[in-house]
Amino acid sequence: MSNEVHSALYLSVPFCKSKCSFCNFASGVFSRQLFDRYVAHLEQAIASSPQVAEECGTAFDPILDSVYLGGGTPSVLAPDQLRRVMQAIRATFTLAAGVEFTVEIAPGTLSEEILAVLVEASVNRVSLGVQSFVDQETRAVGRLHNRETTLADVERLRAAGIAEISIDLIAGLPYQTEESWRRSLDDLIALRPPHASVYMLEVDDDSRLGRELIAGGERYHAHHVPDEALTVALYEQAADSLNAAGIAQYEISNFAHAGHESRHNLRYWQRQPYFGFGVEASAMLPAPLPGEPHRALRISQVDSLDALLGGAKPERTVVGEQQAIEETYFLGLRQTKGVELVAIKQEFGIDAVDRYREVIAAQVERGLLEIEDGWLRLTRRGRLLSNDVFAEFLTE
Amino acid sequence: MDRTLIRNFAIIAHIDHGKTTLSDRMLEITGSLTAREMAGQEQVLDAMDLERERGITIKAHAVRMLYAAKDGQTYQLNLIDTPGHVDFSYEVSRSLASCEGALLVVDATQGVEAQTLANSYIAINHGLEIIPVINKIDLPSADIERTKEMIESAVGLDASTALPISAKTGMGVIEVLEEIVKRVPPPKGRVEAPLQALIFDSWFDSYRGVGVLARVVNGRLYKGQKIKLMAKGTTFLVDSMGVLTPKAAEIGELTAGEVGFFFATMKTVGDVKIGDTITDADHPAIEAMPGFEDIKAMVFAGLYTVDSHEHNLLRDALEKLRLNDASFFFEPESSTALGFGFRCGFLGLLHMEIIQERLEREYNLDLIITAPSVRYDVTLTDGTALEVDNPSKWPDPTLIESVKEPIITATILTAEEYVGGILKLVEEKRGKQKNFEYVGASRVMITYELPLNEVVLDFYDRLKTVSRGYASLDYHLSGWWESPMVKLDILVAGESVDALSIIVHRDSAYERGKALVSKMRELIPRQQFEVAIQAAIGARIVARETVAALRKNVLAKCYGGDISRKRKLLEKQKEGKRRMKRVGKVDIPQEAFLAVLRVASEES
Repeated sequence: MSNEVHSALYLSVPFCKSKCSFCNFASGVFSRQLFDRYVAHLEQAIASSPQVAEECGTAFDPILDSVYLGGGTPSVLAPDQLRRVMQAIRATFTLAAGVEFTVEIAPGTLSEEILAVLVEASVNRVSLGVQSFVDQETRAVGRLHNRETTLADVERLRAAGIAEISIDLIAGLPYQTEESWRRSLDDLIALRPPHASVYMLEVDDDSRLGRELIAGGERYHAHHVPDEALTVALYEQAADSLNAAGIAQYEISNFAHAGHESRHNLRYWQRQPYFGFGVEASAMLPAPLPGEPHRALRISQVDSLDALLGGAKPERTVVGEQQAIEETYFLGLRQTKGVELVAIKQEFGIDAVDRYREVIAAQVERGLLEIEDGWLRLTRRGRLLSNDVFAEFLTE
Repeated sequence: MDRTLIRNFAIIAHIDHGKTTLSDRMLEITGSLTAREMAGQEQVLDAMDLERERGITIKAHAVRMLYAAKDGQTYQLNLIDTPGHVDFSYEVSRSLASCEGALLVVDATQGVEAQTLANSYIAINHGLEIIPVINKIDLPSADIERTKEMIESAVGLDASTALPISAKTGMGVIEVLEEIVKRVPPPKGRVEAPLQALIFDSWFDSYRGVGVLARVVNGRLYKGQKIKLMAKGTTFLVDSMGVLTPKAAEIGELTAGEVGFFFATMKTVGDVKIGDTITDADHPAIEAMPGFEDIKAMVFAGLYTVDSHEHNLLRDALEKLRLNDASFFFEPESSTALGFGFRCGFLGLLHMEIIQERLEREYNLDLIITAPSVRYDVTLTDGTALEVDNPSKWPDPTLIESVKEPIITATILTAEEYVGGILKLVEEKRGKQKNFEYVGASRVMITYELPLNEVVLDFYDRLKTVSRGYASLDYHLSGWWESPMVKLDILVAGESVDALSIIVHRDSAYERGKALVSKMRELIPRQQFEVAIQAAIGARIVARETVAALRKNVLAKCYGGDISRKRKLLEKQKEGKRRMKRVGKVDIPQEAFLAVLRVASEES
């Protein structure tokens, strides 16, 4: 962890205009009457940050290096509600001079009023949930925008002075083919965004589409979802195209022009502390004890809006010395550059590296990990099978 | 005691036809146990949990009751309980040989079943006086006349004097006791003659060593006596003895005609063979009692623990089980796929299931059991004769001259509507019909010769399915057939997995192989590389399937909110892998080793 690190803050806004079939987060379509109560909750939660730090036994640093409003769709809040959130942030924290201030926007939800609030609050980065530039594909998963809206939104953001734009795509959406994916990638590259995220569709029982795929049914166009081999091919096609366009891969699902990586997200993979409030948000703060210098607390908010507004307490998980080492590997290895073994040795002691010699050697032999100049990283194939690799770093 | 006042009898009944309830009722009436004592333990004679659950008796018991009969005399009634399953037919025959009479208990709602029939024949052959008893007459569906008819046509007994009772309510039970006194002859034998006592069960007691249940036929068996087991030729000193009432009561001697238990200087149940004759070491009898057989295991399987660290626990558990069960044997074996385990021999499939369940339940072990096998007589081209009970010891096919497989004679009793399905099943199992006859109006008795090999895999389950549970089966080993048996190997990623090999008839090898590899394909999870699954006879591949390589196993999104959740996911995945067995480079789940059994069942 570098010395010049200040605080980071994540806020979730779990409201959407429609629920996408692939969504496996606790966000959804809720009554607008809840919005006010939720904003009030966030105001109070943000104000509690110093107290949260104190409870962990760590000094509160009011300077923010990064702020991230995610969702859900923060842009579905009313302008004055969004403004109240922004004001709450400034009431407790001070934005550092070079702050990275990101808001997630669903194309088509960016009103002039919201844009004005963003500019006024010094938001300088927007992550656009585009998912696909092919209208049939966005329609099939229940998104409300089309290609034209996306292109228009990018233009308006730039005109308003927000240049740090990230575009999300999903590989593995219903109806996707190599050809249609090519069109999405070409559109993305033509927009020359400084940052992009490409996610392979996650199939689990937390999303409607995932459940349908597991059940083998045909709802949500599940029978038009590309098979695993095609999804993998789409992902690799994206990585090749984006890398060639100078938008270099720096994490399993993230790509950026040099210097435009998401500083906020890097903190997660590099285990730097952050505050987090709202539905399903987490904070991770140092909570050292004598003999346990790397001890930290993860404070996870409940994933139910009702429970949260009902006053449900967050869950506290102790991240002990051993878990800290394991996380250092399985989060750090998500980055394309990998982890520097000597740095791990210096931070946690020689044993933190020696213990994994055999694990690492076995994965290197399988072609899933490689070591170069002291950096341990996933190979291209290892990225696709990264869970198999990461599981090996966990103690039983 | 005056020998003319002794009655030794057994109860012959099918599972659930009420043997244990009737025994308990008799104990209550004779005052051996008060109703309060009975209440503490639902059914007194079935001591083990498993016995009670399955409604069968695994170990024999002998209970002495004193009954004040209507003729004014008090009789000593010795109830010799018999194991209730086909796997234990030898024990049954020894128990029956210790009696002069038997109650044939038939459920008035069900009729005669195959095992009842088999055991009745044994009793008839031993010259026992058989008293038919029709139980459960309190049930609305009871049909006493039809049950009598079946007893007459199937067993061939005069059922006109059959006693209608309800063991549950106690109705008619006193009449049963009266009939025992009247009809069962008192034991013969001479107290002055040299000792001859028949062993019909044994068990292990942690404090006193090996307990033996025996019927004294001639002479006296007393505390402090030096005895000799005639078949084994070993001698021991009797250190204590008694009778079960059913609580153990110490006595000083047992004389001709009596039944009881004793402890001697034996250390393990293996020192005692059921059916052996006890005599006085110093004044031995000239002849042993007839009917002794050194019974051998018929079914064999490998037992392994899922967690290889539990190997020692398994060995300890097997040793403890063997203390009480000399009919079960085990020896260490090792498998390249499963590591260190034990080759075990059982009297039959139920016996195997009982041992397996006890290991899992009482010793909390997670087991992998390989497909059961039988013992083959293999003759090699150079004339050498081999006994092979383990597929991994099967000789190279080019060296085999001929193979003989064990054959059973199976008697199946069923209702006529299931005959079609059952005949199809036994034909598919290479059976040869010996007899087919109607017993009673709509009941059919089918007798077939069947290879035991076909029976050990899935015959019971299939029979139950095709007959919807309305078929009963009894069998005994009856010979050998020369058959073209071959070893079917399963290769995973080019490596033969020894624990999956089975011995099959050449004509069904192709179908079995195909079914097996397709089942394996479903059960073996995708790995990081493509995995070929093949079935082979020697070097010839007869079936092949492929498990496609796992292309991706990746969490696309991992940000601050869900690191703990994602960690749990990784942990779960790791735990799943730990529970698999690694063969070469491939992780094989536990279920795959049981697939051999399941595959055949799904063909139907």
